[in-house]
Amino acid sequence: MFQSHFMVIALLAWRGLKQHAFSSFVAAFTISMAGGLFLSTWKIKEEAQKAFNNSSGGFDAVLGARGSKLQLILNAMFHLEASPGNLSWEQYELIRDTRGVKEAYPIAVGDNYYGYRLVGTLPELFRNHEWKKGRKYEVQDGRIFSADAKEALVGDFAARKLGLSVGSQFHPYHGLDFDEKKRHQDTYVVVGLLEPTGTPSDRVIWIPIKGIQKMEGHDPAAAQSVSAVLLSLKGAAGFHLDMKYNKQGNQATLVWPVAAELASFFDKLSWFEDILALVAFFVALVGSLIIFATLRTVMNEKKREYAILRCLGASRLVVTCVVLAQSLFLSLAGIIGAFLAYGGIGFTAARLIREKTGVVMDPLSFVTLDQEKEWKSLWPLVQEKGYEALWPLVEPFLPLLVLVFGIFVIGFVSGLIPALQAYRSSLSDNLSPKS
Amino acid sequence: MPFLEARCLKKSFPSPEGGKSLVVDLERFSLKPLSLCGMKGESGSGKTTFLHLLAGILKADEGSIILDGQEVSQLSESARDRLRAESIGYVFQSFNLLQGFTCLENVLLAMSFCGQVKKPWAKELLDRVGLSKRTNYYPRQLSIGQQQRVAVARALANRPKLVLADEPTGNLDPKNGQKALSLLKELCQENGSSLLLVSHEEKVIESFDNQIKWEDVNQVPSSMIEE
Repeated sequence: MFQSHFMVIALLAWRGLKQHAFSSFVAAFTISMAGGLFLSTWKIKEEAQKAFNNSSGGFDAVLGARGSKLQLILNAMFHLEASPGNLSWEQYELIRDTRGVKEAYPIAVGDNYYGYRLVGTLPELFRNHEWKKGRKYEVQDGRIFSADAKEALVGDFAARKLGLSVGSQFHPYHGLDFDEKKRHQDTYVVVGLLEPTGTPSDRVIWIPIKGIQKMEGHDPAAAQSVSAVLLSLKGAAGFHLDMKYNKQGNQATLVWPVAAELASFFDKLSWFEDILALVAFFVALVGSLIIFATLRTVMNEKKREYAILRCLGASRLVVTCVVLAQSLFLSLAGIIGAFLAYGGIGFTAARLIREKTGVVMDPLSFVTLDQEKEWKSLWPLVQEKGYEALWPLVEPFLPLLVLVFGIFVIGFVSGLIPALQAYRSSLSDNLSPKS
Repeated sequence: MPFLEARCLKKSFPSPEGGKSLVVDLERFSLKPLSLCGMKGESGSGKTTFLHLLAGILKADEGSIILDGQEVSQLSESARDRLRAESIGYVFQSFNLLQGFTCLENVLLAMSFCGQVKKPWAKELLDRVGLSKRTNYYPRQLSIGQQQRVAVARALANRPKLVLADEPTGNLDPKNGQKALSLLKELCQENGSSLLLVSHEEKVIESFDNQIKWEDVNQVPSSMIEE
């Protein structure tokens, strides 16, 4: 350990910080918080958007009553918000039979069981539809409900939260929010549990669409209506339907493409991102000042110790490097802490999003599958297109690089003045022989 | 030829009144190789400044210091750092051990600046000063006398040609002071190091065959030197 100057400098720096453990901890902690906030503002929004995009259940479009597109998506795909209104069964049949519509599944909402939505649909949704490319719904226990029975197929998350299993019986409650006074008399029996999908359907209790339509106490007029129609399209059907429903018609609203509507929703949240970025900036500033104050304190208290080192033969440069190494250590601790803080914030956010929407977000997925594939074929790409070809691969990591580089700069700048002070401090003054 | 020679050495410090107060004004001082020399002087008479000039910690205003054929006062700062690391051992009155490091680490640290870290030798030195069982103790866990012994071991870590000791017994009781003094002399002799020890204590200086009075070499009366 004492063999190389590098190790000696590192040891002196480490022991110096250890002697001021509390101040060092506060400095590193503050930088961690700033870094964690910075990463969170960037990554959580991006991951949430990605997760919501991946949670559209394999549908390209949604048809619903005339009204807000966002409300329609949130209601039909994410099982949030109230339904903007109903469509007639004929409207459903019309779009189902339209050319270019590959699949059309009507859904009906309006009831819940302890806050978890009951969504009425056709059993074919679970037999034929791919909620993700190549993935159909799978039943982990039991079977799919029959179209005419009072049976339920329960999403994995809802089943676990409600303690439902095959054979369980329950009475639905009217409305989308739980109110114990609004219990329906109908009794449903759970006939199957779905495998988890990581999509909002995990939070849903699926029942036959006729169940919602004809639930005791519901308006008889609703017996022939649906809340929305989930659509899979092929070819240019999206353009034609968009024209037909949104631009020329005024009876219904078509949301297509779903990702574009979600993107505009997330764009509306950018003010929140800006505020968090501002908070992160101020926390970083405070962290920088704390590092500066800590290193200055260490420097002032260790002037004599540095003078002793000089007496033992250490050069000015060694002493200066010790102070800079201390700022480097604080920066490193700050970077590690920033990732931990981000992990904490990210997992809390992911848990909240999962609880509230059923959407599964992975806050630690810094490399997407596509990027991974691209990384593997990196060298041939560079050979073919030169180093500029790397830019699209590096770009997603830019905020990460900015974070690491930024914390090092903060540490270095904060340590610079104390380091210069160490460099310029007079050996004789600090040993102070004036006699 | 003297191993250490100082000629026409002058050093002054700014005085509070704005002028300069001369602390060292020395015509000639020399030390033979392998000699053990005790220099007596009153407190505040400029002895420490003289030792710092010899060690290259301070730069003289005028004059020359030649140590083992090298003109110390002409050396660059980094060369003086190297000289201190390789050729000079220093024992302070207040020991000046690094508190965050163990006894062994204090000795090894001194070796590291010389570029030759020999752990067995560091352990042997600590054994020689009677601290073989306390190598991993921190200075605060040692008695005053033990701390001074670590300081002695550290000063000899690089087998220096010259050991400068500044009131090494000043903080010790007479019994421990005597022990530390004997140890310092023995180790210097064993390692072939010259020793220049300064003290205001008559008894300490009397134990040396080679004795000098600071007042005899320094031409500035101690009454003129400010504390």
